[in-house]
Amino acid sequence: MTMTTNALPESAPPERKPAAPPARPVNAKRKRRFGSQAATGWLFMAPFAILFIVVFVVPIGVSIRSALFAQKPAGDGLYGGGEIVDTFVGFDNFALALGSDVFWLGMGRVTLYALFQIPVMIVAALGLALLLDSFLVRRPTVFRLAFFLPYAIPGVIAAMMWLYLYTPEVSPFMQLLPEGTDLMGPGTVLLSMSNMTTWTYTGYNMLIFLAALQTVPRELYEAARLDGASGWQIAMKIKVPLVRSAALLAVLLSIIGTVQLFNEPVVMEAANPWMGKAYTPMMLTYNSMMGAISPSGTGPASAYSLLMAAIAGALAIVYALLQRRKGASA
Amino acid sequence: MTSRTRFARFTAVTAVAAISAFGLAACSSGGSANSNGDAVEIEYLHRLPDGEGMTPVNEIVDRWNEENPDIQVKATKFDGAATDMILKLETDVKAGKASCLAQLGYSEVPQMFVKGLVEDVADEAAKYADDFSEGAYAMMTVGDAVVGLPQDTGPLVYYYNDTAFKELGLSVPATLEELGTHAATAAAAGKYAAAFTPDEALSWLSAQSAAAGDVWFGSTDDGWTVETEGPGSQKVAAFWQGLVDNKQTLVTERWGEGFTQALNDGALIGHVGAAWEAGFLLDSLDGTPAEGQWRVAQLPDFGAGAVTGPDGGSGVAVMKGCEHPAEAMKFNAWFNTQTDDLASQGLVIAANGTPETSEKMLRQFGGQDVLAELATASANLNPDFVYAPGFASLTKMNETASNVAGGSATVADIFTTAGTTALETLEDLGLPTNK
Amino acid sequence: MSVDLVTVPKRPQKERRQKAPAADLPPKSVLPGPVARVAGIGALVVATLYFVAPVVWVMFAATKNNRDLSSTFGFWFADWNLVTNYESLMSWTQGLFWQWVGNSIFYSLTAGLIGTLFAVMAGYAIAKFDFPGKQIAVGVIMAGLLLPVALLTVPLYLEFQALGLVDTVWAIIIPSAVSPFGVFLAMVYAESSVPSELLEAARIDGAGETRIFFTIVLRLLAPAMVTIFLFVFVATWNNFLLPLLMVSSQELKPVTLGLFGMVSYFAPDKGAVMLGALLGVVPLILLFFTLQRYFQSGLAAGAVKG
Repeated sequence: MTMTTNALPESAPPERKPAAPPARPVNAKRKRRFGSQAATGWLFMAPFAILFIVVFVVPIGVSIRSALFAQKPAGDGLYGGGEIVDTFVGFDNFALALGSDVFWLGMGRVTLYALFQIPVMIVAALGLALLLDSFLVRRPTVFRLAFFLPYAIPGVIAAMMWLYLYTPEVSPFMQLLPEGTDLMGPGTVLLSMSNMTTWTYTGYNMLIFLAALQTVPRELYEAARLDGASGWQIAMKIKVPLVRSAALLAVLLSIIGTVQLFNEPVVMEAANPWMGKAYTPMMLTYNSMMGAISPSGTGPASAYSLLMAAIAGALAIVYALLQRRKGASA
Repeated sequence: MTSRTRFARFTAVTAVAAISAFGLAACSSGGSANSNGDAVEIEYLHRLPDGEGMTPVNEIVDRWNEENPDIQVKATKFDGAATDMILKLETDVKAGKASCLAQLGYSEVPQMFVKGLVEDVADEAAKYADDFSEGAYAMMTVGDAVVGLPQDTGPLVYYYNDTAFKELGLSVPATLEELGTHAATAAAAGKYAAAFTPDEALSWLSAQSAAAGDVWFGSTDDGWTVETEGPGSQKVAAFWQGLVDNKQTLVTERWGEGFTQALNDGALIGHVGAAWEAGFLLDSLDGTPAEGQWRVAQLPDFGAGAVTGPDGGSGVAVMKGCEHPAEAMKFNAWFNTQTDDLASQGLVIAANGTPETSEKMLRQFGGQDVLAELATASANLNPDFVYAPGFASLTKMNETASNVAGGSATVADIFTTAGTTALETLEDLGLPTNK
Repeated sequence: MSVDLVTVPKRPQKERRQKAPAADLPPKSVLPGPVARVAGIGALVVATLYFVAPVVWVMFAATKNNRDLSSTFGFWFADWNLVTNYESLMSWTQGLFWQWVGNSIFYSLTAGLIGTLFAVMAGYAIAKFDFPGKQIAVGVIMAGLLLPVALLTVPLYLEFQALGLVDTVWAIIIPSAVSPFGVFLAMVYAESSVPSELLEAARIDGAGETRIFFTIVLRLLAPAMVTIFLFVFVATWNNFLLPLLMVSSQELKPVTLGLFGMVSYFAPDKGAVMLGALLGVVPLILLFFTLQRYFQSGLAAGAVKG
C-alpha cells in the first residue's frame, strides 16, 4: 500500500464517488478562474486566519520580542528604583537557555520518559484496538466507553486523583504492593507520571486505531482465514500495517505533548519537593516566569519556551521523515 | 516598560481592527461603568477562602458600600495559587489595568516593589499605623516606602496534644532543649512530639531561624548582605538533625496525607506550626475521642527569649496605577480592622485587638482561648527579620530539605542552599550585593 | 458491505443504520478460537479495571469525609457523607456550582461550534483552492501545533487586556476556538473526501461558492467536524490557566477553575471536591455517549494521513 500525502482513504475507492461530470476544458477555465480562486480561498481562510493571528501570531511575536529583553531595576538602591525597565540584551536570554544545565537535565528527563511512555501507550492502544476489532465481545461499545472515560476527566482532577492513589497512607492499591514501596521516589516518579498520561490518553489513541481498523472490509479477513492464516497472523500482517499512519500521528502528537510535560510533574512536585521547581523544561519555564527560579522574568521564560518549541518541531520533523522513508522502502 | 507598552498597544490596535471586522468588539465590557455618578470605584483582588461557615468577603464589602456611598468597592476572589495571582497582577499593572488593592504575601512585598508593581503610600499608611501590630506593619514596609496595610500574621507556635502529654508526663516545652528531650520521651513510646516538614522548609525554617534571633537580610553602603547560617540557624539545624538522626520526629510533607494520618491515629502529638494552622489543623479529629485534646502554646525559647518568627501572613497593598490611593487606603484600614469577620476566614489578624475565639476552636482546643494565645505570639514576632527581593526563589530550600529524610543532605545544608540561592537571585535581579 | 462503510463520509445516514447489527454478527470463520478468546477477554477485563477503577474510587471518595478518606478502604463506603459533601460544595462555591457547570457547557459548546466551522472552512480552502501565501499559511498553522500553548497564555492575556476583552466570555471562547489541529484534520479529510469534480459540477450548475460549501462540502466533512468539535470541546472544558487569568467575575467562571479554587487552600474538604469533580464530568460523559459513534468515524480521517 503506497501512501502519499494526498492519498485517498482506502474506504473511498473511485467507484463510490458520484459520477464525474463529462470531461471539459478545465485547464483553460482554471487559468481564468485563478484570480477568483485565490479570492475565494482566502475568503474561506479569513475567519480562521484572523483568529489565528490574534491568538497565536501576536502572542508569539510578543514572546520573541520579550526573549530579547531583560527586566532590570531602574535605580541602584537596595530595592532598585521602584520600577523595572526593559533592557535590550540581544540573544543573552537564548545563550542562557542553551547553556542552562537545568534545562538540558529536564530535557533528559522528558526524553527518558518519552522513550518509555510513548511506546507503551501506543502498543497498549493498538493491542486493545485489535482485541476489540476481533469479535471477541458482542458489545465493544461498553469497553470503548470504559477505555475512553479517562480522557473526559479534567487534567487537574486526574492528577489530584493519582496523587492520592500513589500516597501509601490512603491508597487502596498500595496495600497490595510490598511494604515500603515508594511510587514517588527518584527512581519511580517518572514511571508513576507516565502511568498518569498513559491512563488518560490510551483510550483516545485506541479509538483512532479502531477507526482505522474498521475501514478494512471484513471479506479480506475471511479470505485470509480461508488461506489458512491464523488470527495472530491476520492482526500482524494485515491490520497493523493499516494503522501505521494513524500511529505516526499519535506518536507525533505525543512527542509534542511530552516536551511540554507540565500538569503531572507540578502536582507531583507539590507532594515531593525533592523534584525541584525545574523538573521538566516546561516547569522550569513557568517557574522562571513566576520568579521561583533565578534568573526570572519574561525574558528567560520566553527564551526557554521558544527553545522548547524548536526542539519539539525538530523532533517531529525528524520522526516524520524517518517514518516516511521507512514507509517508502517497505 | 514604555517600549513594551507601545508594542502591546500596536499589536492590540491591529487585533482590534481585525476583531471589529468580525463584529465581536461590541460585546466587550470595560467594567469601568460608574453608575454612582461621582463615587470613586475601588477594585480589590483577594484570595481569602470564603469557605463554609465563614463571613464572605463580599458581605463585609457590602457593609462598607452601604455606609460609604462615595467609595464603592468591588471585591474579586482569585481562584489560583498565590504565585498565579502575582503573575496576574504583574500583567495587569503592565497593561495599566490592575485592581487598586490586592492581597500580597509579606515575603513577596519587596520583590513587588522592585518590579514597580506597588505604590508607595507611606503618608496615607501612617494615619492608620496605630491600629496594627508593629511587626506586621513593618512587613508592608520596603525601605522608606510603605505599600499598604497588613492583614494577618503567621507567627510560629507550638501545638500539642495535652492528654497525650499528660499520659507521658510531659510539660509544655519551654525551651528548644526541652522540646528535644520531650521528643525523645515520646519516641520511646512510639509517638512524635514534632514533625519535620520538607515541603514547608522555606517559610518554616526561615521563621525558626528568626525565632532563634537571626536576621537573614541586611545592608551596608555597598548593598545587600545575606547571612542565613548564623548562630540561630546552626542551633535550629542541629536540633532537627538530631531528631531526624534518632528517628524522634515524624518526617513527612505537611500537606501530604502522611501528616493527617499521623494526626488521626494519634502518633503525632506535637507540632511546630504557623498560627494560621489553628483554623483547620484539627478538623479531621472532629467527632473522634481525640477531639478537644489539643492545645496551642508559645513557641519554646529558641535561644532568643520570648521571640518567634514569621511563617506566612499577608497584607493588602495598593497597586501601581491606582487612581485613588487615599480612598483605597481608607477602605483598606477599615476592612482589615473588621476583626471578627476576618477571624472567621481563619486569619490571625494583624490589627490590634483580639477577636472572640470561635465555637469551633473552643471545641477543638478544649475551651482554650486560642486567639488570645495567638495574639501573644503575634506580638512576639522578631521585629528585625525582613525579607529581601527574590525570596520566592528560596523554594530551593524545600528541594534540599526533602533530601534530609533520605540522608543525602543535612539540615544545615538547607540553610547553605538558602544563602547561595538568595545571593544569586539578588544578583540576577540586578540589585547591589555585598559579598 | 457492512461495518467498513463507517468512514465513508458520503453516507453518514446509512452508516448509522447498518452498524450496530453488523458488529454483532461476525462471520463464523473469523471468530477466534476458545483459548485466544479467553485470553483476549481476560486482557479486556484487566484493561477495563485499569481505566475505570480510579473513577470508581472517586465515586466512593465523594461520599466520605476527610477522615474516612484516609482511614477507610477506598473501594467501599464509610459513613454516608454525600449530603454533607454536597452542602459543603454548594457553600464553598457560594451556590454557584451549577452555574459554573453551565458556563463550562456554554464556553465549550460555543468554542466548539465556532472552532469547528472556522477550522473546516480553512481546511477546505487549503485542500481545494490555490491562493497566494497558502504554503506559508500551512507552515505557520502547523508551527502553532508545536508551541507550548500554556506559555502563550500570558502574552495573550496582555493582548486581551489591551482589547478590553478580559473578563468577558470572549476571553475564553476566542482563544479556545482556534484549533490548528482541527485545520490539519479538516485539510486531510477534505483532500481525500471532497471530490473536485463534484465542486466543478456544482459550479457549472451555477452554484455560488458559499452555497457549495454549506450545502455540499459541510455534509461531506461531517465526520471530521464531529471529531474537531469534540477535540475543541474537551480542550476548552479542561483548560485551566486561560480562565484563571482571563476571568475574575464569579458569574463567568468555568467549573474546573471553581473546583481548583477549593483545593488551593489549606485543608480542603476533599470529599466535596471529589463530588464536584464527578458532577462536573457528567455533562462531558453524556456528550461522549451521544456523539461517540460519529466521533469514531471522524477519527479515521486523522488515521488516513501518512
